[in-house]
Amino acid sequence: MMEDAVPRPSFVQQNRKLLLGSLSVVAFFIAWQAAFLVVPFNSLFITKPSLMFEALWRLTLSGQLFFDLGASAAPFFWGLGAAVVVGVPLGILMGWRSRVGQALDPLLTALYASPLVALAPLIVIFLGVGPTGKAFIVFVLTVFDFVFNAYAGVRSVDNLLLNVVRSFGGKEKDLYLKVIIPSVIPYIVAGARIGVGRALVGVLIGEFFAASEGVGYGIVKFGNFFALDSMFSYILVITLIAVILTQGIRWAERAAFPWRAGQ
Amino acid sequence: MTETNQLEVPFVQAAAPPEESAEVTPSGRRGLESFALGLSGIAVLLLLWEAVPYLVTMKAGTRLFFTPPSEVAVTLWNLFSTGVIWSPLGVSAAGFAVGLAIAIAVGLPLGILIGRSETLDALCEPFVTAFNATPRLVFLPIVLLWFGLGLWSKVVIVAFGAFFPLLINTHEGIRNTDKLLINVVRSFGAKEWDIIRLVVVPNALPYIITGLRLAIGRAVLGVVVSEFFGSNEGLGVMMVQAASQYKVNIVFAGMIVFMALSLGMTGLLKMLENRLGRWRPQRIGE
Amino acid sequence: MTAYIHGQNVNLTFRPPNRAPVRALQGFDIAVEEGEFLSIVGPSGCGKSTFLSILLGLLKPDSGDIDLHGKPIAGPGTDRAMVFQEFGLLPWRSVAQNIELGLQLKGVAAAPRRQIAQRFIEMVGLRGFESHYPHELSGGMKQRVGLARALATDPDVLLMDEPFAALDAQTRDLMQAELLRIWQEARKTVLFVTHQIDEAIYLSDRVLVMTKRPGRAKKIFTIDLPRPRDYEMRVTPEFNDLKLEIWNALKDEIMG
Repeated sequence: MMEDAVPRPSFVQQNRKLLLGSLSVVAFFIAWQAAFLVVPFNSLFITKPSLMFEALWRLTLSGQLFFDLGASAAPFFWGLGAAVVVGVPLGILMGWRSRVGQALDPLLTALYASPLVALAPLIVIFLGVGPTGKAFIVFVLTVFDFVFNAYAGVRSVDNLLLNVVRSFGGKEKDLYLKVIIPSVIPYIVAGARIGVGRALVGVLIGEFFAASEGVGYGIVKFGNFFALDSMFSYILVITLIAVILTQGIRWAERAAFPWRAGQ
Repeated sequence: MTETNQLEVPFVQAAAPPEESAEVTPSGRRGLESFALGLSGIAVLLLLWEAVPYLVTMKAGTRLFFTPPSEVAVTLWNLFSTGVIWSPLGVSAAGFAVGLAIAIAVGLPLGILIGRSETLDALCEPFVTAFNATPRLVFLPIVLLWFGLGLWSKVVIVAFGAFFPLLINTHEGIRNTDKLLINVVRSFGAKEWDIIRLVVVPNALPYIITGLRLAIGRAVLGVVVSEFFGSNEGLGVMMVQAASQYKVNIVFAGMIVFMALSLGMTGLLKMLENRLGRWRPQRIGE
Repeated sequence: MTAYIHGQNVNLTFRPPNRAPVRALQGFDIAVEEGEFLSIVGPSGCGKSTFLSILLGLLKPDSGDIDLHGKPIAGPGTDRAMVFQEFGLLPWRSVAQNIELGLQLKGVAAAPRRQIAQRFIEMVGLRGFESHYPHELSGGMKQRVGLARALATDPDVLLMDEPFAALDAQTRDLMQAELLRIWQEARKTVLFVTHQIDEAIYLSDRVLVMTKRPGRAKKIFTIDLPRPRDYEMRVTPEFNDLKLEIWNALKDEIMG
C-alpha cells in the first residue's frame, strides 16, 4: 500500500492526551509539595502531599479507613437500591401510560428541580443519624434520576422499530426483548451515573449533620482536630471513589451499548 | 418535555444540545388535557397530604413532624407579611449572586480557552473530571477552616459548584462548532479572535445557557448546604434552627422559597434559551 | 510564461492522530489562465477539494510551489473566495449578514457593507429575503447566499467545491445557468470542483481529470463549445463526444 510508505505517528503523538493529563496531575502534586519550600508551612491550615499520603497509609493499615468506608457504603447502596426499585417502575409506568406521565410530570419536575437537600435536617431528626436516615436522604436525592431517565427511555422507543419487529412476525415478548428493554436500559444506566454522584452527596450530608462513623464524619472530625493530613487523605479517597464510579459507569455504557456512542 | 435537558441522557453530557420544539405549548385539546392532568396531580398530592391527619391516627411523636400544606401556606404568609424572611433571604441571595458571578467570570473564559486548545484541554481534563465527579460538599469543612463562617465560605462553595456545569457546557458548545463554519470565516482571513467572536461563541450560546441553568441549580444547592453547616445567618440557617426546634412548618416554608427561586430562575433561562435557539435577530459581531 | 495560477509538484499527506496517514496529493501540477473557467473532475477522495483548500490558504502543502499571480500563497487572502458544498452559512445570521461576513472581516464599515451586500443580493436574485435566516431557505437559495458572499469581497479567483452537489437535479440545472450568467457578468477566474462530467463540460473552458488518490493531474480537455451556452447544447453530438472522452479518461481511475 502507498499509505505504508509514510511513517506512522509515534507513541507520543498517539497518546498525547493521556500523557499530557498524567503530566499535569503529577505536576500538580509536585508543585503543591514544592510550594512549601518557599512558603512557610502551617499544619493547622494546610497539608502537603507527602503528609497526606502518609496519613492515608496509616489509616489504611489501622483499618480505620475501611471501617469508615463500610459505614458509608451501607446507606449508599441501600438508598440507591431503593431508588432503583421505586424509580424505574414509576418512570416506566409514566412512559407507558401517557396519562400517568402527564399527571405526574409537573409535580415530579418541580420536586426534581428543587433543592431536596433542604429536607435533610428534617430527615435526620426524624429517622436519626444512623444508616436509615442516611439511606433515606440518598433515596430522596436519587430517586428522581431513575424516574426521569426511565421515563425518557420508554418515550425514546422508536415506534418504527416496534412496527418493523411486528412486521417480521414478532410477538409481544419479542417487542420487549428486542426493542423496549434495549432502548430503556441505557437510559437507566445513565440515570445511575448521575445518581451515584448525588448519592455520595446524600451520604456526606447525613454524616456531616451528626454521625459517629463514616467517611463524611471522618472529614468533619479530622477537621475539628486540625488533623489536616488525615482530612485530605479522606477527601482524596472520596474523589477517587467518585471518579471511579462515574467513569466506570461511563466506560461500561460505552462497552455495553456501543450503538449509542454515536449519539 | 421541559426538563429533558436537565437529566443526562446516555452519552449526551450534561450539555444536552438544546432541542428546539421541545417546549410544546399547550395548544388544542390534548395540551389542555395534559395541563389539567398535571395540575390535578399536584392538587391530589396536596389534598392527600392535608387529609392524612383525618385518615390515620398518628402518635404524638410522629405528629410533631407532620405539617399539612395549609399550615405551611399560613407560615409562608406570616414570614413575608411580618418581613422576618427578608434579612435571611437577603443573606442567602448575596452568597448566591456573588458565587454565581465568580463562577461565570471564571468558567466562561476558561471553557472557551480549553474548547479551543487541545493541549490546555488535555492538561485540565483530569482535574475537571475529578472535581466534577466529587461532591463539592467534601470540601466544605476545609473551606470553612480557610474562610471562616459566613459570606466567603458560602461564596466559595457556591462558585465551586456552579463553575463546573458552566465550564463543561461551554467547552462542549465550543468543541461542537462545525469545522466548516470555522473554515469559512478563516477563508475570509479571520484571526483566532474573529473565529471566537463570530462563530464559536454564537454557536456555543445555547450550550452556555443550558450550563447556566444547571449552574443555578448547583448554586442554590451550595447556598443550602453551606448554610446548613457553616453559617450563622441565611435561609438555610433559619431552616436548620427550625428543624432542631421541631418547627416543621418553617422547614417546609423555607424549602418552598428555595424551590420557587430555583424554578423561577431556571424558567426565565428556559425562555431565554428558546428565544436564542431560534436564531432570531441577534446582534453578534457588531 | 507562468500562468495566472501555477502549481508544480504539489504534495500533501494527511496525518490524522491514531490513524494511518493518507496521501492526498502527489506530484500535482496545474496551470490556470486569468479569467478562465476550469473544472476539476476525479474519483471520490482524489484530493480535488484538498487542492482548493490549499489554494484558499487553509492548508499548507508538504512540498511543491503554488503561485497566484506570480506570488506564492501564504494563507487566506481577499483575492480568493470559496463557495462551499455544504453552504457554510452561519445559522444565526440573516441572509444579508451572511453576505456581509467577508466584508466585515475585511474591515469595511457598516454602511458601505450593507450597500455592497444589497447589490449582490439582487445579482443572485434574493431580493426580499435579506432578513431571512438560513434555516428558512431552500438549498438552492442557500447556495445563492454562498455565491453572493464569495463575490461580495470582489475576489480575483472564485473557488467552488462541488457547490451544487447538495441540490436536487432541477435546482442544479437552474443554478448552473445562473452561475454562467453571473460569471459572464463578473468575469472571475473560476476553479470548479465537481463529480459530474456534464456539469464540468457545460460550464468550463477546460476540464482537468485527476487520478485516484494520491491525486495527480491526468489529462486536460479543452471545451471548444461556443459561449453563451444554453441548455440545448447538452444534447449536441459535440457535447456527447466530449463527455465520452472525459468519461474514458476517468473510468480507469474509478474502476481501478
